[in-house]
Amino acid sequence: MGQLVVNGLALGSIYALVALGLLLIFNTVQIVNFAQGQLLMLGAFIGISCAVTHELPVAMAWAITMVAMALVGIVFMVLVYFPLRGRPAFLVILTTIAMGIVLENLALIVWGPLPVSLPSPVRGPPLRFAGVVVSMHQLFIFATLAVILLLQFFFLTKTRFGILMQATAQDLHTARLVGIPVNRTIAVAFAFGAVLSGIAGLLVAPIFLAEPTMGGSLGLKGFVVSVIGGFGNLPGAVIGGLFLGLIETFGARYISSNFRDAYAFIVMIAVLVVWPRGLFGEKSSEKV
Amino acid sequence: MFNRSLKTSITAAAAICLSVATAQQSKADAASCPSPIPFGLTTALTGNLALLGTQARNGVEFAVDEINAGGGIAGKKLALTTEDTGASSTDALNAMNRILEGKPLVIFGSMISPHVFAQTEVVTKSETPFLVGATNAKVTTQGSKWLFRTHVHDGQLADLIPEYLVTSLGKTKPGIMAVADDYGLGASRGIQASLAKLKVSPAAVTSYAPSDKDMSAQLLEIKDKGADSLILFGRPADVTLVVKQMSDLGIKLTTIGNSSMVAQTTLNNLSSAEADGGYAIGGMIPQTSTDPKIIDWSKRVQDRYKVPADNFTVSYYDTVYLLKSIIEKVGCDKPAIRDALAATRDWKGMLISYQADAQGDLAHTLGIYRNKGKTPELTGPIKESGY
Repeated sequence: MGQLVVNGLALGSIYALVALGLLLIFNTVQIVNFAQGQLLMLGAFIGISCAVTHELPVAMAWAITMVAMALVGIVFMVLVYFPLRGRPAFLVILTTIAMGIVLENLALIVWGPLPVSLPSPVRGPPLRFAGVVVSMHQLFIFATLAVILLLQFFFLTKTRFGILMQATAQDLHTARLVGIPVNRTIAVAFAFGAVLSGIAGLLVAPIFLAEPTMGGSLGLKGFVVSVIGGFGNLPGAVIGGLFLGLIETFGARYISSNFRDAYAFIVMIAVLVVWPRGLFGEKSSEKV
Repeated sequence: MFNRSLKTSITAAAAICLSVATAQQSKADAASCPSPIPFGLTTALTGNLALLGTQARNGVEFAVDEINAGGGIAGKKLALTTEDTGASSTDALNAMNRILEGKPLVIFGSMISPHVFAQTEVVTKSETPFLVGATNAKVTTQGSKWLFRTHVHDGQLADLIPEYLVTSLGKTKPGIMAVADDYGLGASRGIQASLAKLKVSPAAVTSYAPSDKDMSAQLLEIKDKGADSLILFGRPADVTLVVKQMSDLGIKLTTIGNSSMVAQTTLNNLSSAEADGGYAIGGMIPQTSTDPKIIDWSKRVQDRYKVPADNFTVSYYDTVYLLKSIIEKVGCDKPAIRDALAATRDWKGMLISYQADAQGDLAHTLGIYRNKGKTPELTGPIKESGY
């Protein structure tokens, strides 16, 4: 039982990290980026290119990956968001899906289909207590999620830039009228969103291996987590992620491992039926 | 003396005439071939089955290029057209329809059984020899006389893996874990049936979705239910994860599976301790060979494609050379090629000999492997009963 909790929380932490990246972009431009999983995959492969192919220290690989992912986020915004800005949201969403497919196939061409592992930045024997094994990497995942959650919360609520991002999300035109540098704000959101995905990729690759198609399922789970937690809600994304990780792990153990993916969507539908705005969703106000 | 000399001369003359006539016949048959000789291939080059599908492309393409570099067949080059099936059966059918528009002499299908099931009817209607590596046992029971399989199938594995586990390794309480798709679930059912024949009940039967990354819940279930061994049926990427997670959880079970257990892709991502002691029964892999020619071939494939050759690469490579030998004998008449494929007897490939049975299965020899650290060792070849 204890082992299932640990493994479920580790899995849920990954889902939560993907959801946090989704949330950052959604909270700024009100668009769901369905290529978030493929950005995660890209982060994992950039990390592998640095740490495995070029044998750089893992810490340096992490730093390079984060910088590279920030640039990828900005390029993504220029290619996907800007040309369709002001058009119906579904067009942008469809374009993010298409971009995800492009990224997946680009990765297949550049890195090939072989699954590859990335060394963990933390080493050491696993902790064992009462028959429960917790690896150092799992502890690192928990710690990373906690730090990112706190930093993101602080950034969005306590810094000027974070408040500008929220203002941009609420009304883009008014934000521009009052002098907010809207384009720069959106660029920062895409850059940070991509960096968060990159970090998730760097965390996933040592335990789940990296391969070009790894992002599809994880991206979708990130979306489910966002819906469960309440789209746009920071603690909701984390609690939703951990909740889903536990549901999947316990469901696979005690109900059937055949329907593991189905549990995510059953839970999402159930939550939406009872709480249409998700567990922590805020009431939306109608414009008059 | 004179009579003997005359007899010898007449016999020699007759032999020369016969061989010239045979050579002319052979030349005439090969001369009937179009130039270039069109071959078609559909396989998964993108999507989540690309790792598997590219092995078919690598094997076929490598052999075709070698044959062309050596002058082709009777001086005629081979022209290989490849269509990507992606991961979907619908796309596989569309890819096959595009290939058929080019009127190929023969078509290679992939090792992905649902794709081959979707394609068999249109290929059969086109009356084109269809050579596949698809491992679902039922692929060759569809009633198509144009379909042939040159790789071992799950039915053979489903019989041999439980038998080896129970009778040779002495394990009587295995847990079963398989990937939850046509490939894995079909094998899992076959394994359960074979275990039942051996009067052994599995401690737990579990599966995981092809996209699953965390199999710890299934492993814990198998451990909690007291299994003494694990039968693992999956693809290299997910088999790697299962073995890694077993090690992380401190679960130590004798593990036996399909050839993914000894695939280079799997071993590259495992430590020596994680890989050590794992057993596999499956198509013959080139990694364990000590033959310098095969070692050199493996190296050239790896250098060209950056992916290690596996049992499928070998099987598709052999298939092209088998076709070459047939076309050299019977020319480019499709029914004649089909009949020659159906009449294959002891054709020696790179690692095994091929022999056609009534259903169109040509591979009947499997390898039993055991990992010593990260190096697979061939415990011995094993033949399907009756071969």
